[in-house]
Amino acid sequence: METELYLDYNTVIHRLDPRTKLILFLYAFIGLVLYEHPLWMLPIAILILLQTALARAWINLWRLRYLLFLLTVWSLVLWNLFVAGDTPLFLFVSKESLLFSIARTMLVLLMIIAGVNLISTTRNEELVLGLIKFGLPYRVGFALSTSLRLVPTTADSLQTIAQAQRSRGLDLESGNVLERLRKWLPLLIPVFITTIRSTNIFGMALESKGFGARPDRTFYLQTEMHTIDWVLLILGGIITVTAVYLNILGYGSIPGLHRF
Amino acid sequence: MQELAVEIQDLRYRYRGEKVPALKGIDLVINRGEFIVLMGASEAGKSTLVASLNGLIPHYHRGRMKGEVQVLGRNTKDFTVAQMAEIVGLVFQDFEAQLFSTNVELEVAFGPENFAVPREEIARRIDESLAYVGLEAFRHRSPSTLSGGQKQKLAIASVLAMHPQVLAMDEPTTDLDPISKYGIFQITDQLRKRDDITLIVVEHETEEVLHADRIALFDNGELVKVGPTRDILQDVDLLASHSVMPLGIPRFFKSMGFEKADLPLTVEEGLQAFQKAQWRISTEKYEALVAREQEALAHLQEPLIQCHGLTHTYPNGVQALKGIDLEIMKGDMVAIVGQNGSGKTTLAKHFNALLMPTEGEVLVHGEPTEKQGVFKIGQTVGYVFQNPDHQIFSETVFDEVSFSLRIRKMPEKEIKERVEEALVAVGLEGMEDADPFSMTKSGRQRVAVASVLAARPEVLILDEPTTGLDYSEQRGLMDMVRKLNEEGSTIIFVTHHMWVVAEYARRVYVIKDGRIFLQGTTREVFSHEDALKEAFLRPPHFVQFSNRLGKTLLTPEEMLSCMA
Repeated sequence: METELYLDYNTVIHRLDPRTKLILFLYAFIGLVLYEHPLWMLPIAILILLQTALARAWINLWRLRYLLFLLTVWSLVLWNLFVAGDTPLFLFVSKESLLFSIARTMLVLLMIIAGVNLISTTRNEELVLGLIKFGLPYRVGFALSTSLRLVPTTADSLQTIAQAQRSRGLDLESGNVLERLRKWLPLLIPVFITTIRSTNIFGMALESKGFGARPDRTFYLQTEMHTIDWVLLILGGIITVTAVYLNILGYGSIPGLHRF
Repeated sequence: MQELAVEIQDLRYRYRGEKVPALKGIDLVINRGEFIVLMGASEAGKSTLVASLNGLIPHYHRGRMKGEVQVLGRNTKDFTVAQMAEIVGLVFQDFEAQLFSTNVELEVAFGPENFAVPREEIARRIDESLAYVGLEAFRHRSPSTLSGGQKQKLAIASVLAMHPQVLAMDEPTTDLDPISKYGIFQITDQLRKRDDITLIVVEHETEEVLHADRIALFDNGELVKVGPTRDILQDVDLLASHSVMPLGIPRFFKSMGFEKADLPLTVEEGLQAFQKAQWRISTEKYEALVAREQEALAHLQEPLIQCHGLTHTYPNGVQALKGIDLEIMKGDMVAIVGQNGSGKTTLAKHFNALLMPTEGEVLVHGEPTEKQGVFKIGQTVGYVFQNPDHQIFSETVFDEVSFSLRIRKMPEKEIKERVEEALVAVGLEGMEDADPFSMTKSGRQRVAVASVLAARPEVLILDEPTTGLDYSEQRGLMDMVRKLNEEGSTIIFVTHHMWVVAEYARRVYVIKDGRIFLQGTTREVFSHEDALKEAFLRPPHFVQFSNRLGKTLLTPEEMLSCMA
C-alpha cells in the first residue's frame, strides 16, 4: 500500500531547507487569506502551482483528486449561504457571493496544494527538524512526526480489517444512517486494539533505542540555508508585504458584498 | 574485562492485573560472547525475560519484580532503559512497529543520534551496519517499501549501529519465509564469530538453532533445562513435552533404536549414520505408499475453484499476479507457499471475491466471482485472516462466532446450534461466555476459525494459521483443520512453515513473482529442492535427508513404514 505522500525525487524544491519551505507556506497563507476577490489571488496561485511543477508533485494532487473535487463543489455552493451581495443571480446566489465563493474555494484548494507541495518534498524528519530549529522542543517534534507516521499505518490496518469483516458478511453500504454507524463497530474496535498493541511495541522499541538517553542529541540529517533559500525568502517576503500593503489600501475586496 | 555478560538471580515477575506470575524464579548466567537460544511454549516467559535484560522490566511494564538482573555489571534496577540501551540491543518480532523513520539511513542513525554520537561517526556506523546485513543498496529507500525479511534486517542493523555488547532478539524470524529466515540466522552466525558480542535469541524453529552454543528451555515461567545445544536437541521427548518441535532426523533415529547420545542432528550426520547402520528403504513399500496417495487424490474430481489467466494489478500499478491457471478440487487440502511478497495472499483473496481479477477469471462452483460478490461467496468460501485481532470485536465468544449468522438473519435457535458446533470443532466447547480479548493468541486464532466455520463454508481458507503459535498449538490447530478436511471441507492454507506443509498438505502450489512456479502433490514438490530454493523455500531437514537417500518421505513415520 502506498499511503505516503513524500516523493523521493531530487528537485530544486526538495533541496530547499525545510525552514524555507515552512516559511513559504506561511507566506502563501497570509498572501491568500487577505483577499476577497479571486483575481487578486491569481498571482500567488500561479506561484504555488509553479512550485508544484518544480517539485513534480502533480501525482499527489492526482491521488487527492476526489477530495479536491468534493471540496470544490461543496465550497462553491456553501459559501453563498454565508454572504450576500447586491446583484442577485439565482436563488441565494448573487454575483458578489459567487465571486467570494470562488475566492474561498481557491483559498482551500491552494492551501491544500501548498501543503501537498510541502509534504511531497520534505521528509517527516526534515519537517520536524525544521520546526525544532524554530525552537520546538525535540520531544514535541518527535511526537508530531510519530502521529504523522501513524496515519498511513492505521489506514492500512483499517483496510485489512474491512476486508476481514466483509468476508464474514459485513455490508457497510446498506441500511439507514444509524444502522450504518453501528456497522462501523466491527471495524473500529479491531483498529483500536491493533493500534494500541503496535504503539505499545513502538514505545518499547523507542526506549530500547535510547530515546532521551542524553539531554543533547545529534541530528544526522543536516539542514543548511543556501543562497537560493535566502533569495526565495526575500522575494517571498517582498511579495507578501506588498500583498498586505495593497490590502490595507483597500484593493482586492468585492464591492457590494455583505458578510454576516 | 568481565567474563559474565548476564547474571540473573531468582528473577520473579508478575504483570499488573495478572494472577499468574510470568516468571517464577529464574537463575541463569550467560557468558560473554555466548550465543544462547531461549525456547519453549507460548507464554513460557521468554519475552518477559528478554524485556528484563534492558530494563523494560521493571521500568516500562507495570508489575512486581523480585530478584536481580545484571548486564555487564549494570543492575537493571539502577539504570533507565535508555541507559541500558547503550549496552543491550533489543530486536522485536513485529518488524513494522519498530521502524520509525522514512528512510533506511535515518532509521540506522536513530539510535546513535540519541547517544549524541558525532555525525561523522554515525555516517561510518550507517555504512558498517548496512553492509553487515547486506542492505547497502537500499540506504535511500523508505522502510515501508522493503520486504519483510529486509525490514527485519534493517531492524537488526539499526540496533547494531548502537554497538551493543549484548544483542537480544525476540522471535526475529517468525513472519519470514524460509530463506529470509536463513538470512537472519546467517547474520547471527556472523555476529557470533565477532567475539565481543553476546547473542540471546528467542526462537520457535528448531532447525534454525543448531549453531547456538546453548539452549535454555522454558515452560510456564520456569527454566526447565539449560545445556549445550546438542544435548538439548537430542532430548527429543523433553522438547516435545515443552511444546518445542523436535527435529525429524533424531526422531527417526530414536524410533530406530538409537541411544540418546548417539542421535544425529543434521542432514549430513543423518546420512552418515544411516549408511553406517547399512539400512535400506524398500522401493516396493515406497512405491506402494505413492500409489495409495495417487489413488486417494484421484477420487477428488469435482473442481470447486478455478482460475483462468488470473492477473491482478493493484491501483498503484504493481502486478501481483501474472496469469494464474489452477483448479482446486472439492475435498482437497492445498498449501500455497512462496516468498514474502510473492503474491500468495493476493491469490487467496481472489478465491472469496475480496479481490477481483483485473484480467482473466476466477470461478467458484463454475460461476465467476465477479457475478457473485463477497457476501454470497462468503457462504461457500470462508476466509480466516492471518491476525485474529483484525476481526475480533465482540465481548463474548458467542457474539463473535455468531456475527456472520446474525448478519444473515438466521433464526436464534439455529444460531445457537451452529455456534456450539463450531466451538466443538475448534476445541473451545463451552467457552461461549468467555472474553475473546483475554484469551491467548492461539485461543483467539481458534475463535477466528470458529467464527468462519459457523457459516458452514465448503471451502476454508487460512492465511498463515500457525504463525505466532508454539509447536503444540500449531499441531492442535492443524489437526483440527485436517479433521475438517476428512469430514469433507476443502482446505486452502497459505504458510511459511514447511513442516506444516510436509505433514498436512496433500497438494502444493509454489508461487513466485506472481506466477505458479511449481505444483503437484506435496511429495512431488518437495522432491525438487533446487527449484524450491529459487522460490526462496526449503523443505524441512528431514525431507532433505530423505531426498538425499533417493526417496521423498515427508515424515519420520513415513520413513519408518518404508524401511526394508
